[in-house]
Parts: sequence; C-alpha cells; structure tokens
Amino acid sequence: MAFVAGCSSEKKTDEQEFLKTLDSTVENSGIDEDVINSILNQIPSPLEISVLLRESGTKFNSSILNETANVSRYNNNYKKALNLGIYGTDLGYTNIYGQNLDGIKYISVIKSLADDLSIGQFFDVETIGRLAANSKNLDSLVLITTLNFNHINHYLQTQGRDNLSVLLLTGGWLEGMQITCQVAAKKPSQELFEKIGEQKIILEQILLLFSFYTDDSNMAGLLKDLEELKTAYDKVTINYTYKASSMEIVNGVAVIKDNSTTTIDITEQNVKEITTITNSIRNKIIG
Amino acid sequence: MKKLVIIILLSSIFEVRAFELIDQCNSDKLSAECIQKLSEGFNFLKSYKVDGAGKDKIEYSYVFMKGTQYMINLCANGTITDGIVVSIFDKNRNKVATSKINGQMVSAINFPCNASGIYYIQYTFDEPSGRCGGSALGFKR
Repeated sequence: MAFVAGCSSEKKTDEQEFLKTLDSTVENSGIDEDVINSILNQIPSPLEISVLLRESGTKFNSSILNETANVSRYNNNYKKALNLGIYGTDLGYTNIYGQNLDGIKYISVIKSLADDLSIGQFFDVETIGRLAANSKNLDSLVLITTLNFNHINHYLQTQGRDNLSVLLLTGGWLEGMQITCQVAAKKPSQELFEKIGEQKIILEQILLLFSFYTDDSNMAGLLKDLEELKTAYDKVTINYTYKASSMEIVNGVAVIKDNSTTTIDITEQNVKEITTITNSIRNKIIG
Repeated sequence: MKKLVIIILLSSIFEVRAFELIDQCNSDKLSAECIQKLSEGFNFLKSYKVDGAGKDKIEYSYVFMKGTQYMINLCANGTITDGIVVSIFDKNRNKVATSKINGQMVSAINFPCNASGIYYIQYTFDEPSGRCGGSALGFKR
C-alpha cells in the first residue's frame, strides 16, 4: 500500500516486532477481536470534557497541554501511539476554545506521528489547516478532526492493529483526565469532582482492554500504572438508580426525560490522589 | 455450443453480481448523511452502520455521561426511517429511550443523560424490507 512508502525499514522492523508481539497475545487469549473493538468504540470522546470546561466558564490554558516540541522524544511506536492520542485531545481542546493558532501546531505534530504509524493518510491536514485559518469554521474543524480520528481507529481495528487503537484512545483519555484534574486543582467544584469520579467507568473499560495485551512489556508496564490509578478509584463509589424514562414526540424528535440517576461519592482527597497518579502516568508518557 | 454455454454462464454471473451491487446496503453513505442532519449545536461523536441483512438487530455500546445531552438520528433510503427503530438500553438492559413511541416512528432521539454508565444503542427492524440505514450520535452540554 502507498502509505508504507514513507516508512524507513528500521521503523517497519520496530512496528512489525511491536505488532507481532501483540497479535500473538490476542490470538492466545482466545478473545474475539470484535469484543476488543466493541469496548474500544464505547470509550467517549475527550471532546466532551473540553466542551464541559468551556461551558463552565473555565479559561483556555495552553500550559496544561503537552508541548509540541516534545514530539522528537517519541522514538518508538508505543510512545508515538500514546502521544498521538494525547495530542489529539489537545487539538480538540484548542479547537473547542477556538484557539486555532495553537491548533495548527498540534495538527503538524499529529500528522507527523500519524505518518510514522502509517496512518497519516487518514489525517486530512490540508483541509484541517484551511479550516483552522478561519475561526468561523470552528464547527467544521471539530467535525473533521473527529471524523479523521474515527477513521484512524476504524482502520486500525479492521487491520488487526487494535493494539495501536487501544494506546491512541488511552492517551487521549489520560490527557482529558489530566486537563480536568488540572482545572479542578485550580478551581475546585463539585461538578468537576464528579466528572473526575465518573471516569472510573471508563478506566474499568480501559483496564479490560489492557488485560488482552499483558504479553507486551510496554503495555504491561502501563497496565501496572493504570491499576494503581484503579486502586485510588476504588475509594470512589458510583450508585445507579433506574427509574423508567418518560418520552414524547416533539417536532418529529423523540424527547426523553431520563429519570434514572447516578450519585458519585468522591472527596477532595480522592481527587488529589487521582490527580497525582494521573500526572505521574502522563509524565512517563510525554517525557 | 461450448462458447455459448460459457457466454451464458459468464453473463449470469455478471447479472448476479449486478443484482448484488444494486441490492447492497450503502450504510456508509447513509451514516455520512446522518452526520450532516444532527441538530444545530450538537457535536458529532460517532456514526453507525445499520445493515440489517440477515439480522434481527444491530447493537453498539457507548459510555454516556450525566449532564450531557445526546442525539441519535436515523437515515434510510425510503420513507423517514424505513421501519428502522433505534432504542437505548442501560447497563442492566432497561429500555431508557426509543424512536418508536405509541406506534409512531421518528428519525431522532434527544436523550439528556442523567445517569453515567455504559449504554447499548440497538437498531431493530419493523419492516421485512428496507433493513438498510445509517445513524449518527452527537452531544451537547
């Protein structure tokens, strides 16, 4: 395929070794790849967190993002995939805040990492760059960025490279966590604490995904770190109460009133512990 | 005679392929159409293929978050939904939303989520034909 042409033989060997290890893990685990893909596809977009922060009046803060200059440090596919996810969340954050100049820098490093991982063909840098040049194109910019990342994940999953998809989504999720934790540390609020608390649901899904790749030393190392985060989250409780919804049709749309509830029990101390561990994991990845 | 048999055989193969192509469900195209049809203010999250050939239902899952409003819409070739119904179930399989209310089918669900968790997005088919569609999920705060 055409996209292989951009890779050096050294890169190919690195990736082949990486993928070979993980492919054998999936095979030996006896788990259907459809199961992995199904879990992968239910992980929510970090964009939701960025929108929440903007809507709650939190100011844009570029200093909490991963610096684009760090891209030169990522010299293996494990780090490239994780940081592609991290930069993807950073791009979403800059897009949501309409910080297009910052966004252009992220587009450049994302394209570079995606090319190295042989998935650059899904990142339409020209269109994104054109949209980013005009702040009126914000909605289109957010849409096309989301579409590009969806295409990348879909492609990886259909090509049996779901290990990369797991790393990409995990990096993206961790960055969203880190941004939320940083904002909550500066401006604590119950809403943000609960947002951090409910990430327990996603962490459990990510841990499930990592359990399929324990034969890979890089992923096993990260799994250990994520398990430490899980220990901190064990102190957080989420209680779900189901109550039948009410529904009515308004202007051709089924409008639902969700009467179910979740209550999230999380203390400031829990948030501090989660923040410390999240930062420590993220620093290992971006460093 | 031999030539004639080969010609007939080849043309019948092409005919079958042509019918297959015509009959094929282009759920990618319909999903893409649905993205454009998400209501104003909703940010696109995911698109879903709804190709129900030989299936009773199609199911996807997604983690919905409390305080976020989600919209799931449907696009089909024929009438509004071509008999496709989308429903949302919670982690315990309780139905929390559907696009078919009192027998009336609509092409979109607006679901302001009040309980964070894993939800199942299920597509079922009310009509024997027209089991082809697309769908998109969006959110807003």
